[in-house]
Amino acid sequence: MAIPLLEIKHLTHSYPDGNGGIFDISFSVSRGDFIILAGQNGSGKTTLIRHLNGLLRPSKGEIRLHGKNILKDLTLTRKKIGMVFQDADTQIVGDTVFDEVAFGPENLNLERSLINRKVIQILEQLGLIGLKHRNPATLSGGEKRKLAIAGILAMDPEIIIFDEPFANLDYPGTRSLLANICDLNQKGQTIIMATHDVETLLESASRLLIMSQGQLVEDGSIASLLGKLESRGIKEPCTCKITASPPPWQA
Amino acid sequence: MASVNPFMFKPGNSNLHCLDTRCKFFLVCMMSLSILNAGFLACFICLVILFFFLKQIRLPIWHTLKHLKYFIMFLLIIILARGLSSPGDPLFSLYGTPISADGLYQGILVALRFFLVMVTGLLFSATTRSASLKNAAQWYLKPIPFVPEKRVAVMISLSLGFLPLILQQAQETRNAINSRCGNLEKNPIKRFARLTLPLLKKTFLSADHLILAMEARCYSEERTDPEFESSGRETIFIMAGLGFWLCSLFH
Repeated sequence: MAIPLLEIKHLTHSYPDGNGGIFDISFSVSRGDFIILAGQNGSGKTTLIRHLNGLLRPSKGEIRLHGKNILKDLTLTRKKIGMVFQDADTQIVGDTVFDEVAFGPENLNLERSLINRKVIQILEQLGLIGLKHRNPATLSGGEKRKLAIAGILAMDPEIIIFDEPFANLDYPGTRSLLANICDLNQKGQTIIMATHDVETLLESASRLLIMSQGQLVEDGSIASLLGKLESRGIKEPCTCKITASPPPWQA
Repeated sequence: MASVNPFMFKPGNSNLHCLDTRCKFFLVCMMSLSILNAGFLACFICLVILFFFLKQIRLPIWHTLKHLKYFIMFLLIIILARGLSSPGDPLFSLYGTPISADGLYQGILVALRFFLVMVTGLLFSATTRSASLKNAAQWYLKPIPFVPEKRVAVMISLSLGFLPLILQQAQETRNAINSRCGNLEKNPIKRFARLTLPLLKKTFLSADHLILAMEARCYSEERTDPEFESSGRETIFIMAGLGFWLCSLFH
């Protein structure tokens, strides 16, 4: 039997104050998956995804990447599993768009010429090349999210984790960002996305995980779980209520 | 889109932008030393030179002065305090308290020197990327034994990089307070507490997020350093800086 790309086994994390945390979570991720991780506020989505990148250590259980525990080599883990945070402003450390994308490869101690080539290629791929000398603070919300993705892509990840990527984005910004994410997935990138907004991803995602009170309560295809969303505190896409086949969000 | 405050790095192609950061470091030291000894004429020459560079890097002077309004108020207090506390012939009286001409003269000179140091620092931070700053600090600290130059350099660049973010957050907090008529509060201690407590909380939270974001992208001290960029005019600038310092010494 083939080893899954990422395997989460009985993952448990409890906070010292007893609030929040996640309990006995198990699932696996295959190459090319596009997974939505949905749940109410405080259901444990952010705690779970911070474990996947090694930012939090579990109280019990383990995470395996290509069959190896991710905590054995954290640098490799963070290179292979990129994380795009909810607030792009706090993720940005560079003074220019170019510097920001170069930050990850510089941490990996790559050669300067290779870093420069990589950064240019990724800025072109995401349509940010015209902004390479701009101060990231002057970018729009959508451009900042794309820049955060570019910063992760420069490290050649196998999996990209997004924490609420569409929060506070307007309609054109959401469409444009979604087009970029879907494009990455179609090229074979594995995506895990924590979000409340299932409707935006109806056409794009392949699997839905639902969390409630720190536990993984549902795992299946989107079509099979649509009817259970509202009972878990997640808004059922209104397009599903009024039409048989929802119109796609993707541009 | 955030408004850029004058201390933030502003990309450009001016003489100061293209100058090697090590040279800029040296010039800032020379300027600061010269300003310490400067009389009115030297201060005026410095002012003209610094405003010329402000114009060259296209930093709007009025907007910059507006951002420095609290600092300028502080300078006015210095001038007044000097005028009130120094002995000498009274120039005029303020509510019955004589203000001496000598004190006023000394106060204006001290305030002018403070102002020039501030503008020198502003020019430096607005034209220097934090990555280059880190690199230059590392270069200067390397020959000093028992100093962890990489760690110190990162701390300097992060502190400077964080300053504009703190100023931005202070403005946001002030706006939030004023939008609920907080500006009607007359007690300065209460006003100060209302601004600083949420600001401190925000700053610590942002620092936490920044650490997580850096850790998620494999941040370590052993990383590819940015290359020093030279404009070829470094010698001219160094000679000018040295000349200015010598003139101020012998004046």
